[in-house]
Order: sequence, then structure tokens, then C-alpha cells
Amino acid sequence: MTGPVHADLVLMLLADARLPVAGHTQSGGLEPGIRDGLGPQDVPAYVDVRLRTVTEVEAATAVLAGRLLRTGAPDAAWLDLEQAWEARTPSPALRDASRRQARALLRIARRTWPGAPAWTALEALEHPSRAAALGALAGHLGLEGRAVAHLVGYDDVQTVCAAALKLLPLDPGSVVGWVVAALPAVEAMATRVSSVAEVDDLPATTHPLIEVWAQAHAATTRRLFHA
Amino acid sequence: MPEPSTTHGPTPSPTAPARALRLGVCGPVGTGKSSLIALLCRELSERLELGVVTNDIYTDEDARFLRSAGVLDADRIRAVETGACPHTAIRDDITANAMAIEELEEDYEHRLEMVLVESGGDNLTATFSSGLVDVQIFVIDVAGGDKVPRKGGPGVTFSDLLVINKTDLAPMVGADLDVMRRDAAAVRGDRPFVLISLTEDPAASAVLDWVRAQLQVAQDA
Repeated sequence: MTGPVHADLVLMLLADARLPVAGHTQSGGLEPGIRDGLGPQDVPAYVDVRLRTVTEVEAATAVLAGRLLRTGAPDAAWLDLEQAWEARTPSPALRDASRRQARALLRIARRTWPGAPAWTALEALEHPSRAAALGALAGHLGLEGRAVAHLVGYDDVQTVCAAALKLLPLDPGSVVGWVVAALPAVEAMATRVSSVAEVDDLPATTHPLIEVWAQAHAATTRRLFHA
Repeated sequence: MPEPSTTHGPTPSPTAPARALRLGVCGPVGTGKSSLIALLCRELSERLELGVVTNDIYTDEDARFLRSAGVLDADRIRAVETGACPHTAIRDDITANAMAIEELEEDYEHRLEMVLVESGGDNLTATFSSGLVDVQIFVIDVAGGDKVPRKGGPGVTFSDLLVINKTDLAPMVGADLDVMRRDAAAVRGDRPFVLISLTEDPAASAVLDWVRAQLQVAQDA
């Protein structure tokens, strides 16, 4: 394949659920939330809360990873970024889920774009987070910060909503409505994080229930979704 | 956009560690996949380094069955969540299963000789990606009706071995084994199929012989 490719096409490729990165194993924490009492009526608010907390942190981290790649930052900068993400992701289960998703993503990315500088940069990290891996890949493919934030936000909304269809009695048409209704919140989140330039700019927001649910989920044997 | 790789798969390097034969077992719910895998483990684990990856509805239902059967060390049996997409996990997006196999192989320092992958119970259209397994068995049973081989589908038609299980139940469910034999032969051409009953032959000799032959082929290659 040769010739120019618009960033829109790259974004579509990375946001497509058909990309084999084990996306179907994730519920964005919805499965344990439902076990703890969330119902169909709560899903839009749950999506919104994520966009203002854990997903904002993930998006900001990915944006900064893309920037580190473009600027050829040293290993120390990647380590700082990963530690900042760890500090903002106190639940070990969430960190583990993120790292497993990173492995899945890097598996296909390394095969598709072998020898990319992004993989050399990520070698600074023993077990990169999904945010670092996705940001590095997106940076390698030329996506700007806002597009990276769109990708993380949109993917999170679709992950939760697609899982809702499997966990709750719902009409897929209603769920499309939830996704569309969440888009302004995705845009607002992208606006907040797209100009993140250094580790100290990263938001430090989380949600205790999301953390607690993630820990409980990792300990149960009655899971449809990994996280 | 940077150039993607044009190769179709990872190129095995001459120094690549030995890779276990990957055998997939899929088929509809309740046809006997877990029992067949337990049997293979029981019969083969003394002489072979085995691992198992399971994909049940809830994480580790099948894994627990196998662990409790005591036919293999619990650590050699890994469960993969499929997010209610058993079909996706063995065909369209094999990542989670492939990672589980690779982890098993690494944990056992590439000594494993065969990894069995058990699909979650699915419908007749389920089939394994050739990127995930080397050979696959499709299991149906007599209790599902003697029409199943005639219905076909990729598993019934193209699996490397079709197992028609629970033949002892045929008189009780009004299934005609001759019809099943005839229809299976018609849709499968030269591809093998066997009819078995674990109550009459708990070792499922016909399946075991086939699996041993696959191991021999892999070893010779």
C-alpha cells in the first residue's frame, strides 16, 4: 500500500470493533456495576461519569504518549508518564485490565507495522498501559491529540454500550441513542485533554465505585467480560 | 501513513521456540466437548506435555470441570472470557485465546507438546480460525437429532474430524445412526468422522487414534 492516507481513515481503522484487539472481552466496568445494582436506566449516566473520570485520565495519557513519540522523548519521559498513569489508576485490577488490552493491541500493531519507532519507545516500559500503547500507535500513524482523545472516549462509550446489550434486556436502537447522546461529552473531554503537554497537566480524577467494582470483578468466577 | 507489513503472518525464525500442536474442539452446547477434552487429558497426559484453554459462558465453568476431574494440573488449564461472544473469540478476534496459549507456552518454557482449545458451546456455524488452531474437532451428538449432519455448516462439513457423540442414546431419542453416517459422509467427502459412545468406550479409541496421528504428523513436520 502506497500513497497518502487521510487521518480520518486511520481513526476509523483504530475505532473499528472489527480490529482484532479482544475488545469483545471488555465491558468498561459495566458488568460488575450491573451485579451491584445498575439498571438500563443508569447506563447513560455511567458512561458520562467515566468520561469525566477514568476515561479522561486514559485519554490524556494517550494524548501525551502520542506527543512523546512525535518529539522523540527519552525513556525517562515514558517512565514518568507510566508512573503518572499508575498513580491515577489506584485499582490493581484496572491497571491489569489496561495492560492486557495493551498486549492485545501491540500484538496486532507490531505485526501490521513491524519496526515502528513506537515499539522501540515503548521498550522503556515493562508492561505498558493501554493508554501508552494506543497513544504511541496513534502517534506513529500520525493522529493529532484531539483525534487520540476522540478515539479513547468514543471507544469507551461503545465498549460500555455494546456490553450493555449483552448484559441487559435492551433494544439496540435505544443504545445507539445513548452513544449519540454521549458524543458532546466525548467532545468536551477531548477539549480538556487534547493540549496536554506534560505529566503535570494530566487530570487526576477517578471514581471509587468504578475502582471497587473492578476489584470485585477480578475476584469473581462468574464473568462474561474480563473487566 | 507508514507502510504496513505485507507478510501474512509471523515468520517463524529458525531459532523460534518449539510450538505446541494446537487442537481446537468446538460444537453445540452439551454435546460432550468438555468430557472429550477430559478424556484426551486422561489418556495422553502421562506421555505428553499438555495445556488446555477453555471458553465457557462464565469464565471458568469448563475449567473448573476439568480441574475437578483431576486429569491435569490446575495450572495447565486456563479460562478466557469471551464477553458473550464465543464465536468471535475463536474466529474473528482470536487475540484473547492466542494470548492465553502463548502464556501457557511461556509458563511451561515451551515444553508443551499440545494445547487443547475448547470453544464455548455455540451453534453449527462456529469454526476455529486457522490462526488459532492447527487442527479442529467438531462435536455433535445424537440427542440433537439425526438431522444435524444433513444441516451441515462449516464445522460439520470442514472440521478435520467430526465426532458424532452419544450413540448409545440413539434408540431413546429416535435417531437413526445410519442416516447420520450417510449424511455425514455426503457432506464431508474424504474428511473423517467417527461415531462414539463414551459409556460403551470410555477411552473413545477412534478419537484418540486420530489425535495421535495428528501429533505424529506435527512431529514429522
